[in-house]
Amino acid sequence: MNAPVAASDLADLSMTEAADAFARGELRAEALVRACLARIEAHDGKVNAVIRLDREAALAAAAAQDKARAAGEACGPLAGAPMMHKDMYYRAGKVSSCGSKIRRDFVPPVTATVLERLDAAGAIDMGTLNMAEFAQNPTGHNAHFGHCHNPWNLDYCTGGSSSGSGAGVAARFFTAALGSDTGGSIRLPATLCGVTGLKATQTRVSRHGVMPLSFSCDNVGPLVRTARDAARFLRVTAGQDPKDPTSAAEPVPDYEAALSGTVKGMRIAVCETYFLDGADAPVVAAFEQALAALREAGAVVTRVKAPSLAAIAAYTALVSRVEGAAIHANWMREHPGDYAIHLSARLFGGYAIPGHLYVEALSRRGALLRQFVAEALTGHDLVATPTLRIRVPTLAETDIDADPANWHRFMAVSANTRPFNYLGLPTLSVPCGFDDRGLPVGLQLAGRPFAEATVLRAGDAFQRVTDWHRRAPAL
Amino acid sequence: MEPELVVPTMEAIRRWSGVSVPNAAARHGLADHIALIAELEALRGSMAFEEEPSNFEAALRACKEPGQ
Repeated sequence: MNAPVAASDLADLSMTEAADAFARGELRAEALVRACLARIEAHDGKVNAVIRLDREAALAAAAAQDKARAAGEACGPLAGAPMMHKDMYYRAGKVSSCGSKIRRDFVPPVTATVLERLDAAGAIDMGTLNMAEFAQNPTGHNAHFGHCHNPWNLDYCTGGSSSGSGAGVAARFFTAALGSDTGGSIRLPATLCGVTGLKATQTRVSRHGVMPLSFSCDNVGPLVRTARDAARFLRVTAGQDPKDPTSAAEPVPDYEAALSGTVKGMRIAVCETYFLDGADAPVVAAFEQALAALREAGAVVTRVKAPSLAAIAAYTALVSRVEGAAIHANWMREHPGDYAIHLSARLFGGYAIPGHLYVEALSRRGALLRQFVAEALTGHDLVATPTLRIRVPTLAETDIDADPANWHRFMAVSANTRPFNYLGLPTLSVPCGFDDRGLPVGLQLAGRPFAEATVLRAGDAFQRVTDWHRRAPAL
Repeated sequence: MEPELVVPTMEAIRRWSGVSVPNAAARHGLADHIALIAELEALRGSMAFEEEPSNFEAALRACKEPGQ
């Protein structure tokens, strides 16, 4: 056995650092799980990221991995890495609340394909995480399980809907977490909590055994510390799944092997309109600083016009709202009082949207994707934007349940992320600074369909010349 | 002041979907539809209806990186 990793450092290890140390025999899985459990026990009373902690099962799984490795058995690429997941990934026989009162006792009969793939790769599942009710808000409010709190400042939003995933990775409760992303629900909590989040190309990762919100725009993906973590996580989870006929047949490359560490010659477009409209000054400053770092590392940054964004933004608003309203119609008729105020209010609006406009929005999706690619990604490898164009809001100022007048601030949170769900493009969010109140700012990088390798390469190269992703909140 | 479209929209939802307005925030959200309608109005006539099925999945494949 090589020199062991110091005990005080264990919970600070990223997912790939932990898995690699375990594979080299420098880290015992049980020691890391115990370090994570200690962090949860010490701090989750404040953060409220966890819904169900499977303490004994996680310790048993870790001990079994330690024993297997000691016996010389081969270990998977995620062996030794403790994880917890948004409480909407079904595991047969275990409750999946979906963050709701309606499904508080729901026991699914199937296990999500993505969980089966993580299990096979050796990930240690420690339980389930807080989330927006039915994954339907961008802030992290939850009336049934309690709001999740931002580890950088407990009065502020974590971002949603994968609130516990973002807060828990930031708080060093575990090395990685599944989130889901229909309008930004991975990238927003990643940004607001100062971690890394990846939404892959639409259809890249199986959605079998995952609570649906919007069949056209739902995505499965990780919240982690680094782009390298996201690369390994994606390779394990991506690929065609016979149980999800919508999953893509495109081959899954070795994303981690493609992390060359450089953006030299990479061409990055910045759209002159939309993504910076009404942006807060500290966010713009951090974004421009991030572009400067990329430029200094060898990337070429160009400002472009993308007039298609007006149509994309309008149609984006329609699709997930109509599909979400359809999914929830029976419950909205029979148990409207079981939803939080903000959620039943949001779902209600979906019933007002005429069917022909929904069909129009879907029918133009392909044409608008081609148009956006022609405007912004022809001659460019990536589009860069701030992930959130405003400063991180407080829980109070986005609480619709307390005051309906907060509606606009609440809805504005996902303005920069939603368009990429409609377009289906792979999009990564990495930390790129802090605002004047000490809350994180995120850089969003989007590439062409199935160009996850390019997106991850840029994120990884950025993280080699900056240290925002290494900073941890003081809890 | 609540926009004129809110009450008739609530009634249309109740008749078409059997869902009643759940709370004051829902009325606030419906009022927000005025801005969305304006955005969609501005798009009228700007694009033709796509006649081919599965256009989005085809576009995803067609827009991949050159050589991928």
